[in-house]
Parts: sequence; C-alpha cells; structure tokens
Amino acid sequence: MSKPSTSPADTISESMTDFPARLSPMLVKELRQGMRTSLFAVAFILLQTFMVLCFVANIAEPGSQDANGFFWFFIITTLMVVQPLRGFNALSSEYQLNTMDLIQLTKLSGWRITLGKWTALNAQTLLFITGVLPYLVMRYFFGNVDLILDLVALLLLGLGSALASAITIGFSVFRNFLLRGILAVGSAIGLITLFFGVKEDIFRNGIDSAEAATLVLLAICSLYGCFFFLAFGASRIAYQSENLSTVKRLAALTMCGLAFCLFLLPLDIGEMIIVATAIILTFAVVDAVTEALPNYARVLIPFRKNIVTRSCALFFAPGWISGLGFFCLAAAVWLAGFGLLEHFEGDGSSGIDDWVGIISGPNALIFPLVIIQLFFHKQTSSQFTFGIYAFTQVCLLFISMLVLVMANAIRHYEDLIYSVIPLPSVLLFASADGEADAPLFFYIALATSAVCLLIPRIRSHAHYRDFFKHLK
Amino acid sequence: MSDLSEKSPEAEETTEATEMTGTTASPENAPPIPAIEVTNLSRWFTGVHAVNDISFTVERGQVIGFVGANGAGKTTTMRILATLDYPSGGTARIAGYDVVQYPGEVRKRIGWMPDHYGTYSNMTVLEYLDFFARALGYKGQERVERIADVMEFTDLGSLADRLIDKLSKGMGQRLCLARALIHDPEVLILDEPAAGLDPKARVELKHLIRILAEEGKTVFISSHILSELDEMCDSLLFINQGKIIHHGTSESLRKGSSETSLIEVQVAHSPERLQEWAALAPNVTFKDSTKNGGRIEVDSVDDEVIATVLRRMIKDDLAVTDFHLQERRLEDAFIEILGEIEASGTPIVS
Repeated sequence: MSKPSTSPADTISESMTDFPARLSPMLVKELRQGMRTSLFAVAFILLQTFMVLCFVANIAEPGSQDANGFFWFFIITTLMVVQPLRGFNALSSEYQLNTMDLIQLTKLSGWRITLGKWTALNAQTLLFITGVLPYLVMRYFFGNVDLILDLVALLLLGLGSALASAITIGFSVFRNFLLRGILAVGSAIGLITLFFGVKEDIFRNGIDSAEAATLVLLAICSLYGCFFFLAFGASRIAYQSENLSTVKRLAALTMCGLAFCLFLLPLDIGEMIIVATAIILTFAVVDAVTEALPNYARVLIPFRKNIVTRSCALFFAPGWISGLGFFCLAAAVWLAGFGLLEHFEGDGSSGIDDWVGIISGPNALIFPLVIIQLFFHKQTSSQFTFGIYAFTQVCLLFISMLVLVMANAIRHYEDLIYSVIPLPSVLLFASADGEADAPLFFYIALATSAVCLLIPRIRSHAHYRDFFKHLK
Repeated sequence: MSDLSEKSPEAEETTEATEMTGTTASPENAPPIPAIEVTNLSRWFTGVHAVNDISFTVERGQVIGFVGANGAGKTTTMRILATLDYPSGGTARIAGYDVVQYPGEVRKRIGWMPDHYGTYSNMTVLEYLDFFARALGYKGQERVERIADVMEFTDLGSLADRLIDKLSKGMGQRLCLARALIHDPEVLILDEPAAGLDPKARVELKHLIRILAEEGKTVFISSHILSELDEMCDSLLFINQGKIIHHGTSESLRKGSSETSLIEVQVAHSPERLQEWAALAPNVTFKDSTKNGGRIEVDSVDDEVIATVLRRMIKDDLAVTDFHLQERRLEDAFIEILGEIEASGTPIVS
C-alpha cells in the first residue's frame, strides 16, 4: 500500500516542532545555532570529563583543597570566561555577515535582538549548570563538602555569568575588534575588582544586616548592569527612529531612587549607596553623552504633546544633545545623594575639598565630549564617538596620574600645578588626596562645568537648532 | 521600547492622498498612489555626495532597472527606500508612506534583497526561513504556509535541510529571494541580484522575477549588466555620480537622439555591388564593408523611408539575403549619454 502524499506545508510543520511559536525568534535562532557549534559541544564534554576526574579525586581524598580548587576552577572558567566570550561577536557578527539589515527589516526591535541573544546564551549556561548539579550532590555524599554553600556559589556564578554575558553582548555592537577587546578586558578587571571588594567586605566577617543591605545594593547594580549593557547594544543597533534612550535613562534614575531608599534603614551604609549610585549614573551618563544623533523628525513626535513632554525631551530624548541635559539631571541626583548622606550620616564637616571632588566627578565624565566637539566635530558615528571617548578617558587618566606624581614630587608648587592643569580628573585626584582645599579649586571646578556644557552647545549649534525645530 | 503607533494603512492612504494632491479627495477619486515616489532625494556623507537631488516615480506593477557604475549612488538610494538609511534631504515614499516618518509601514510593503546576502553558520534553509517568518510575526499554520509557499516558488523544497553555508551562490540568491517574499511584499527592491551568478542561475532568477512582475509586484532592480535588465524591465533609470541621467524605456535609449538609421545588408554573389548601389541611391550612405555585404546609413529614422530603401534595393536587382536595422547596444547608449553629459555639463533626463 502506498503512503498517502503529504503537502509541503505538512512536511515543514513536522520538521518545525523543536521550539514553540511563543518563544522569541532570536532566542530560537540562537539556540538552534549555538547548540550546534563545536565550542558548545567541546566545552560541555570537557566540563563533564573534568567533573568526573575531580569527583574521583574527591572520593580518593575527601576534603582535599586541591580537588576542590580544580572543581571550581573548571566551573568558573566555563561560566565566567567561555560563555561570556561566546557573546563577544554576538552583534558585530550580524554586521559582518550582512544580516543585521535583514533582521532590522523584520518586526524585531533592537532590544528584542540583544535580549534574545542574551537569553539564548544564558539558557546554554543553565545547561552547563544543570550538568554540574549531579556532581555537587555526589560531592556532598562522598566528598565531605557543604552542599548549600556549593549551591549558593553556583547560583552566584550563574548570575555573574549573566552579567558578564550582558557586558560582552552589549559591547559586541562595536565592529572594531580592538575596541571590543579593550572594553571586555576593562570590564573583566572591573568585575574582578568588584568581586574581591565584595569578598573582602562581606564574606570575611559573615553577613549581618549592613552586609545584607550591601548585597541588595550589589543586586541592584547587577540588575541594572544586565539591563544597561543589553540596552547599550540595543540602542546602537536600533533604527535611528527607535527610542531606547528614555527607558534607559529612566531606569538609571529609578535604580538610584531604590538605592536612596536604603538611607531610610538604620544602617551605616551611606557611602556604599553613594558608590552604587555613582556606578549607575556613570554608566548612564557615558552612554547618554556618546549616543549618535537620531532622526528627530520621528523620535521627537511623542515629546511634542505639551510643555511637560517638551521639557522631558531635554533630558530623555535620544542622542547626546539631550544626553547633556540628562547629565545635568544625573549631577543633580548625585548631589542629592550627598545631601541625603549628609542628612542621615553626616557630621557637617564637608569642606571645599569635598565639594571640588563632588563637582569634578561629573565633570570628568563629560570632559571627553569637549575634546570630541572641538576636534572630531563632524564625526557622527556612535562607534567612533564612543571609541574616542574611551581613548580620551584613558589618556586623561594617565595624564592625571603623571600630574599627581609631579605634584607630590614638587611639594611647594602643588597648588600651582593643579590650577595650571585644571583637568577634572586632576582635580578629582587632588581632592581625593586632600590637596584641593583652596577656594580657587572650587571656582576652577565650576568653570570647568560651564566650559563642558557650553562648548558642545556652541560647536553643535546646527544640531541644537535641528533638535529644537523638531520639538516645536 | 516599541515603535510608535502608526496610522492604519487605510486611514494613512487617505491622508497621504490628501497630502499629495493638496485637496480633500475621497479615496476612490484620489489618483493611484505610485509604488515608489522619490522627490529631490539627497544623501551626503562626510565629503561625499552619494545621492544628489534625484526625483523619479515608479508606478505600481512596473519593473524598473536601476543602472549605474560602482559608486554611482544605486545602493544608497535603494537602502534609503528600504528604510535602512536616511536621506539628508528630500523625500522618498513607498506606496504613499514616507520612509522616514512611517518606516514600519514601509517595511511591511517592501522585500529587500541586498547584493551580498548574509549566511548564518550552523543553520539550515528551513530554519533560516522559519527565523524570518517568526521575526515577521507569523504564527502557527500561517507561518508554515508562508514558508511552504516561498520554498515552492523558489524551488527550495529539496534543500530544506541543507546548511546555508553549504549552498551555491545561485541557491543562496534563491533563498534570499524566498526570505524577501515571506511577507508577500508589494514592492521588491533587489540590489544586484544577479551579481556573481552562473548563466543557469541567472536564467532561473530572471524567470522568477518575470513571474513576480506578472503577479503585479513592483520590482526595483539594480544591475551592471544592461542586457539582463533590458529583457525584464519596463523602463530603465540611469544614475551617475548621484544624479539621474536618463529615465525611459530601453527602446528610447537605443534610439537615442540620432536622426539616422544604420542598416546591415547581406548580399549574394558580389558584395561590391552594394557599395556601387549606395553611391547612386538617394538618402543612403555606405558606411563600411562586411564579409557578405556592408552597413549603410539611411538619413531618416522613419520606418516608411527605410522600407522604401529596401524596396529600391530589390528593384535594382541587388541579391539581398539579409537586411536588418542595427540598434545601439544599451551599454553604448549609456556611454554615449555620459559623453553628452560631459560635453554639455548638464544631466539629460527623458
């Protein structure tokens, strides 16, 4: 008996049953591709092999530190190095393969593209974690280890992997390999510093209420970090009429608000709150002032409704012009944070020195924009702007360190050196060193703020005019 | 995060019609909205004027060839039409929707095929089409049917489980066309679709485009190979250094501004007799000899005059075995137009 003939649609329907329709298209695509890559298969097999070896070593010598160290080394390498690095080309490869245009013509927004890629990578991380779980249980029975502590550590590694993946995916938007590499290495250094800081601060003396609150702050920062880096990538691949900036900037302010709520707790964590908000606002401001100018004819339509929405456009519309407005808002929030710190935990001993630091911190964030506006005025690419911004910051850091060394070497001329080279980062270092207590430095810091805001306004007069024209 | 809400196509169509005509016309009285309408479009990059104040209109159902040298501004214009780039000045509309103001509506109506289609590694043909069908918002049975339709149309059924990076260039172009057709767009923008294809794949692609044109789709297609476009396009649009230099049918281009007709004549027995005859005949000049005859120039493009010349030739006992009008090749015509522009310094748009 011959088989009944099936239509092409039936054949396709039968072959397309691996993922349900409700899943994000990008997630499905990335999972189909990702799980076929040799890197995933090799990493999975190697991890399983090492887990078996470490388990055998644990049985042979229960409680062995070496076996324990190797066990965690392979897990950390897989989750914190291999998996995030798989996101290193996530977005740039779409440009290299010439597929980004094709994706942008579909209904997928920039956000859904990056989120889909990140979710797929985390789904595969979850597979790695699931694959490791049986060994944790067996170590508990045969290896004399604390299962709960192991599970908490694995959970934290999973979260760390999610953040690291978000960072690599976010930065993968830059097509320049060197820039991506530098940013990835910089982020890795930052994460490691944060990890050891947290380890020293929290886990050394156990977790009491203050440390628990610090962990909450850390969670807020990590949550925001994941969102920020994904949104960072999304806004740079998005069509010029897509507005992701408003949400990004509002999210930063909301996170700062949440962090400020911790002031209400009777705990001595004011400085940690200021550090957390500084990290959040720094990311948000750097992103805002390096954003390319969008298509105002389209993105400003929702802001044209009334005077309130038009005012909001000055701070929340896409592009670096409103990014400068957002910078002012972020600086106000930053000052408010210090006000709250003073109110709840202060002893009224803030001097000129502190104020110079408080003003120079934000100044240091927008100072590279002045360089960009003065010397690279006609370059409009977001990648170029961000690259120059990062390069300028690194140069300023080196210059400031040199100035600091010089000032320390020639002790009598410190004031002169600091006032002759009034870079915000120099003043910031001087303030941290307790050397900026003269009123002159306060005025210099204020003047730098004015310069940082005025130069872009003067140099990009046409862009400002275009912005206000479309806002009417 | 999502795009701003856009007007419904019907409402928008009425509004657009009103905007275009400047009067409040009912939809049925409104003039038909062109498939593509470009007005004073410009695009400049730092130091480069890629597209310089171009205007043209493509009616619905037309197949238009977009011709120009590398760097002439073809791809930039096409990318603007596909909402992948922004105009620095002027407007571009697809089916009445401005590409800047209503990119979402434009995207629903266009199918874009770039010159270098992207391939994913570790992905089969079916998965590739499934990804784009999902990304275009198709769900359930509708998604399956759309994929089946485009696979059948482009004859990809037997390649469904083949990895994309193992496909030949021709197969890849068919896959790219299938992807562009998933959402059944009314306007197809094809950038150099035949570049790098072997003759067989070219014929196949040309065949598919012809079918699409017969189905009433508007096709805007660019190519370097003029003869290829000639066979499938209703008219040709020439662009050079960011400016439109000719817009018209291939016939008008071949005819050009010449007022004479070049005719190749083959005769039996003695080719020299043709030269002797031409020397005595009115309105005729002998141009050059060929193996079995020669080329003569008639000082008119009028068919009647040409027919008279042929009648006289036979009446005068010339043993004519072949007689045909020599048309200018499109490439020659294009180069001639460029020469005229260089000489006059102004673009020629017909």
